[in-house]
Amino acid sequence: SQQQGYINPGAGLGVPPTQAAGPYGVPAAVAPQQQSAQLGYAGPPYGNTYDQQQPQQAAFPFNQLYTADLLKELPPPISDLELPPPPIVLPQGASLTGKPESNASPEYFRCTLNVIPNNNSLLKKSKLPLAVVVNPYQCLRDEDEPVPVVEDTLISRCRRCRSYINPLITFVDRNTKWRCNLCNLTNDVPSGFDFDKDTQQRVDRMARVELNYSVVEFVAPKEYMVRLPQPLVYLFVLDVSTHAIQNGYLATVARTILDSLDQIPNKDGRARVGFIGVDSSLHFFTIPQDSEDENDAQETSMLVVSDLDDVIVPAAENLLAPLQQSRQNIENLLNNFHSYFENNVNPNFALGPALKAGHRLINNIGGKMIVFTSTLPNKGIGALSIRDEEAHSGKAKESSALLSPNDSFYKSFAVECNKSQVTVDMFLASSSYQDVATLSNLPRYTAGQTHFYPAWTAAREEDITKLSKEISNHLSMNINLEAVLRVRGSAGLRMNAFYGNFFNRSSDLCSFPTFPRDQSYLIEISIDEHITKPLAAFQAAVLHTTSFGERRIRVMTLEVPIGKELNQIYASADQLAITNYFTHKAVEKALSSSLIDAREYLNRSLLDIFQVFKKELVAGNLGSSSPLQLCNNLKMLPLLLHSLTKYIAFRPGKVPSDHRAYALNLLASSPIQRLIKFIYPTIYSLHDMADECGLPEELEETYVNEAGEEVTEPIDGDIVLPEPINDTSTLLAPYGLYLIDSGTDLFLYVGGESVPQLLLDVFGVDNPGYIKYGKSELPELNNEFNERLRNVINRVREGKDRITYQNLQIVIGQSKQRTGVPDRIQEDLTPLRLWCFSHLVEDRVGGGTAYREYLNQIREKLSS
Amino acid sequence: MDQDAFETIEDIDGVRFTWNAFPRTKIEAARCCVPIACIYTPLKQRENLAIIQEDPMICRACKAIFNPFVTVQAQHWICSFCATLNVLLPHYQNQIPYQASGDCTTIEYVLSKRVSSPPAYVYLVDTSLEAQELESLKESILNSFQLLPKYALVSLITFGRNVNVHELEDGLAHNYYTFNGSKTYDLTSIQRSLGLLSRDLRRKDASESVGGRFLKPLGVCEFSLSEVVQSLKPDVWPKGKFQRSLRATGAALDVALHFMDTCLGKTGAHLMLFAGGPCTLGPGIVVGSELKEPIRSHYEIQNGSAKHYKKSLKHYAALAKRATSQCHSVDVFAASYDQIGLSEMELLVDQTGGALVLTDAFSTAIFKQSFQRFLQLPMGINGTLEVKTSFDLKINGLVGHAISLERKAKNVSDTEIGRGKTDAWKLCNLLPQSSFGIYFEMPATNSSQTTTKPRSLIQFITYYQEIGGTLRLKVTTLAKPILQQSQESLIAEYFDQEAAVVLISRQMIDKMVKDNSTEVIRELDKILVELCKKFGSYQKNDLQSFRLGAKFSLFPQFLYHLRRSQFMQVFNNSPDETTFYRHSILTEDTFNSLIMIQPTLTAYEINQEPQPIFLDSMSITADRILLLDTFFQIVIYHGETIVQWREAKYQEQEEFAYLKDFFQLPREDAADLLIDRFPLPRFIDCDAGGSQARFLLSKVNPTTSYKDNQMASASQSGGAIVGSDDVSLQSFMEHVQMVVVKSV
Ligand SMILES: [Zn+2]
Ligand SMILES: [Zn+2]
Repeated sequence: SQQQGYINPGAGLGVPPTQAAGPYGVPAAVAPQQQSAQLGYAGPPYGNTYDQQQPQQAAFPFNQLYTADLLKELPPPISDLELPPPPIVLPQGASLTGKPESNASPEYFRCTLNVIPNNNSLLKKSKLPLAVVVNPYQCLRDEDEPVPVVEDTLISRCRRCRSYINPLITFVDRNTKWRCNLCNLTNDVPSGFDFDKDTQQRVDRMARVELNYSVVEFVAPKEYMVRLPQPLVYLFVLDVSTHAIQNGYLATVARTILDSLDQIPNKDGRARVGFIGVDSSLHFFTIPQDSEDENDAQETSMLVVSDLDDVIVPAAENLLAPLQQSRQNIENLLNNFHSYFENNVNPNFALGPALKAGHRLINNIGGKMIVFTSTLPNKGIGALSIRDEEAHSGKAKESSALLSPNDSFYKSFAVECNKSQVTVDMFLASSSYQDVATLSNLPRYTAGQTHFYPAWTAAREEDITKLSKEISNHLSMNINLEAVLRVRGSAGLRMNAFYGNFFNRSSDLCSFPTFPRDQSYLIEISIDEHITKPLAAFQAAVLHTTSFGERRIRVMTLEVPIGKELNQIYASADQLAITNYFTHKAVEKALSSSLIDAREYLNRSLLDIFQVFKKELVAGNLGSSSPLQLCNNLKMLPLLLHSLTKYIAFRPGKVPSDHRAYALNLLASSPIQRLIKFIYPTIYSLHDMADECGLPEELEETYVNEAGEEVTEPIDGDIVLPEPINDTSTLLAPYGLYLIDSGTDLFLYVGGESVPQLLLDVFGVDNPGYIKYGKSELPELNNEFNERLRNVINRVREGKDRITYQNLQIVIGQSKQRTGVPDRIQEDLTPLRLWCFSHLVEDRVGGGTAYREYLNQIREKLSS
Repeated sequence: MDQDAFETIEDIDGVRFTWNAFPRTKIEAARCCVPIACIYTPLKQRENLAIIQEDPMICRACKAIFNPFVTVQAQHWICSFCATLNVLLPHYQNQIPYQASGDCTTIEYVLSKRVSSPPAYVYLVDTSLEAQELESLKESILNSFQLLPKYALVSLITFGRNVNVHELEDGLAHNYYTFNGSKTYDLTSIQRSLGLLSRDLRRKDASESVGGRFLKPLGVCEFSLSEVVQSLKPDVWPKGKFQRSLRATGAALDVALHFMDTCLGKTGAHLMLFAGGPCTLGPGIVVGSELKEPIRSHYEIQNGSAKHYKKSLKHYAALAKRATSQCHSVDVFAASYDQIGLSEMELLVDQTGGALVLTDAFSTAIFKQSFQRFLQLPMGINGTLEVKTSFDLKINGLVGHAISLERKAKNVSDTEIGRGKTDAWKLCNLLPQSSFGIYFEMPATNSSQTTTKPRSLIQFITYYQEIGGTLRLKVTTLAKPILQQSQESLIAEYFDQEAAVVLISRQMIDKMVKDNSTEVIRELDKILVELCKKFGSYQKNDLQSFRLGAKFSLFPQFLYHLRRSQFMQVFNNSPDETTFYRHSILTEDTFNSLIMIQPTLTAYEINQEPQPIFLDSMSITADRILLLDTFFQIVIYHGETIVQWREAKYQEQEEFAYLKDFFQLPREDAADLLIDRFPLPRFIDCDAGGSQARFLLSKVNPTTSYKDNQMASASQSGGAIVGSDDVSLQSFMEHVQMVVVKSV
């Protein structure tokens, strides 16, 4: 039967349809995106190619400024969050081909301001930040991310500023030279651009990839190598103390590594792995190469080092085993790993010494040290103690007492690791305090990542699933080695401050022992001099060695027009990139000063922008009803910055400091798409989703068959998701079913007054009291709705750009009718509901104001 | 008494005295030039040794053991040392105890007390070796398991750059605990690291003994131990072209001794070090890892410029102290063309009574066979030696591989020779040939107690743990006549010149080791001159008139050879070799020591029985085959004519077939010499004119190069200095005689 969704419980079920009605409760008669399309930018349409620009228009057809009244656009039109930034409008002839690929796409490289002020005072006056967001990789694996490659190792660079030739340069002197778009110097065009020595043929230089695409990868010649490409090394540092035995962490991790061995990038067959088990001693393993001859087979040995003061590498060979040649022995070791330690009652964990030993082991090769621990480091260098959360959480000194590193070892050691091309990743899974704030320094300065699994236990299948998937994804990532990132800007623009997980080695060089594919970087730019040119250019280059041993450079070039007027600047501001910027700044404030400062900073920055806008950009007074105005392209900024103050990282009140520190870490390292999700979670209304939702999109594919005929066949696209609804409880019907995607978790919220049929279809029970709530999975039931639901959840969970796998938390809402859910469960549910509702950031959550109130407060402040 | 009588006593009691009758007073003794002393070999193997399965009767006052010199009266016995009346054991009250019979001057008791722990062998194995060397060593170690009793406890520690203590358990993997080779650890940190403190956090079976994972009876762990040994691989750290391997011998010994302290405290155990090169890092370093740094020489050690020497000496001395305090012996098997640092480790091996084997490589027969032989020696561990004397005799001390138990007794002299001021010593390990030089003195004349007793009594009491697991007490009791006033001139009759030279050499070597003294040559000369003056007959200023009695006839040439031996001269020997030679002579009995001092030379000629000949260059003739035994080397030397015969293959012609046997005979004799010797000597087969012939040429007295004018250097101050090192025996003797006859 054609389902109409569950919004109409139907006659006789005792739920009057009017109850569903409310300001937002009406099923989407008008889809939000349609609204925004109507209200959207009326300037040059989005997605316009440059070819279509009117040639008779002025040389600089800036985006036009459209003003919106935020108070009138409530609830905020959240579909705007999906929109690309205001387009970069370049004059004709700015690029060699005029094709859209000539300028970097925002996924890879974007600027907070798509029109850059021509001088510093204009920038200051705008109160908008100037920064670029660099996100060189979109997917964990190479095969998912086709970036054109320049294979012939012919690389032409500007003699002066060392930037790479790109589609935005110009050929001069009868095309014998090229003028650098960053520094204006003219350079010779290499003869190889026009003539192929090998084939003795003329070639078309415009066929060259780097002149057509602004995001390209060069295969580098030998001169770009400091040393021969090193093999990929994964050194697993495993907590084998009693905690990691008792909660099943060690067994799960060993099992998962075993299952993931095939995922480890090993195209060149050189990848190596090693293991260190850590309690109050360090347990190394020598893994010999597999032997065909059983009589000749060497044994795996365990070497125990207990001297923590001056750690040593206990053997000269076989501590790092080649994955290919020692595969069988590695598998044997991992199969047995847990049994070596199953009787261990040692509660100690000497992380610092283990890291030092590990570093000593791989420092002449480089690689990744991946730490799995369930224990607060309590032995040797870097031993940590539990901090007084009770006294400081939610108080003024929280930052210095709980969020700053508790031991200087971690940063200084991390810097040392960075220098020797070693990355540290942390997988933290304790039921008690682990000092994420301190430990996260290791990944931060080594281009690694901190992964946090609070209260993890192997007794819960969901915990195992999440951990295994994430470890597996982590290991499968096509990381790059020995990478440096350098961002160049055209004259007058200076890279000023760098944000993200890496070490800033010199003024503009960021160093990555390994380059991950699920992180993003932000660089603040200052304007040092008056810019007279009409265009500014940025170029980001990641010099790296691929996991298969090829030296390459990923180059991204972005050109942005220069503006002299504030309205030009505002009309092209990128609200998501700006949010990214303010997030980094707020994290910096939270760590260096206090959480209060961080929140105040966000509020004040927003107020400043409103003030500038009101004072400088709103023409005249619009009558007595004083509106709250901001340009259309920034109208999500207040929602985002306000929501950010409610995020667990900044929220006032008591938050376990490990969670706080982890959230701060996430904010400071995640790409924009995920960042926005953390700040403003996505809610899907499921009980009333449209019929096509939860099913594959019906697409057509046309191809030419063997007979030479053109055939068109239907194919399945991605699963269609419902349109998101706003993050407010007023939209959650008591009989509804919602999926809340916070970026880290998924909440399946089922209203306490849902009809039994819904419960039956979704959970296979007819009474909410029987639903397995909390961390769980949806049962697989034999009905279409259940299947569509699972499709939706799977679609939300999947992502080729991240290693994280979101657990599903099933939450049952309250019911006035007290149907079914016993009191005992109600009690259990309370914290879960609170947690779930904390994501409804338009409401008063976390002690903050509701969004509407907040806007009103701003309006009052502006008028006073 | 003639020489045969001395040897008879030696055969029965394992003892040789310099003087077999004692002068009456200290002053008279001093006039005899050679001290009253003896060489005692407690574990001397002999037939018909009385072994008694009971505890001995002990004097309740002086703790001397019942012996043939006691007086038995009815149900009592009167102590021969202190005259105390003791009660006889009940079952002896109706018969004279067997122990009182004259045959029982040496007797062994098997004590009723049981041994607390079986003998233990800790293998300390250098893995910083070339692959082939390590394979050879592994093979020897694996074979050694067949030679040890199954109840023996064994343990394996390996080292290269680091030190690894291996678990000997059947498990999923072979586990070992690693220590930093460049560090020194204290006992508790080793114990904590190995989980040897009360609570072992990873121990599966709580009933397991402390250290049980690392130390097990061979019978229990032979399989896993063999597996582990088989799996050992060379410890090869990436090193530069001009670098030595990293080898933490000093740290390894440190860790091993700490380990043994904990698991084998005071139970007697062997720590067997197998070292294939010098220690190049950490405590006890001998030489740095850079090849451009040469290994220290005698010269550098003497002038104090050896970079690591003093510090390392201290390290090993401290280890020696720890080892001896636990009664653990350290045996060193050195197999390297280079030095391994024996010089630094000297005290460690000497004081613990360990065995020392020095070879070029683990693949040599010398190492393989010496190691095998070592494990088959009827050794004693965890021993003590105590000396009782009647009150007219005082003990100066002991020279040999023992340490003082610092037990002050009435019969202990204030004058110290070797390790004195005690009447008891600890013997961590006893080889069957382990011999000790013990020095005595007579009371001063002015003593009112001046004895009129006809004899002095001496009792040696050796307590040790026999390898089979029983505790033994070996007792040797001797009576030596004291020459009364009228008999003084008879003393020459009681002189044992062989024992004398051996005991003098021990005394001098001890001095050299102790104070690095270079004055000993002067002292030797002085002794010889004084002895010749006292016991020679001559007319003043008449060189030709000088005569020495038969009892002293060989003494000058013994001293001549001692002077130029590797024990007194370091020239041409490395510090390690010097240590090895000194260690050996301080281990061996009179007979073997004498071979070391004056090698034996046997000549083989056609149609003649082989005969011993003078160790003289004149003895080297073209038609002889010579067999030289220096104890360390056995050299077969073929004269030119012999070589010609052999190369012309005469022996293959029927008429000269006897030549085959003639050529073979010296080899057979050499093989006989090898049978009991430990360590195995180096066998050298050489021809006249060959480079190997130097082994013979360096030992013989250089008569043919003798020139009269070489004697130019005459006596200077005191007149005791005789000649230079290169003089021949003849010119040396003439010089001695001249000094003697011309002196006032
Ligand atoms: Zn340039
Ligand atoms: Zn007595």
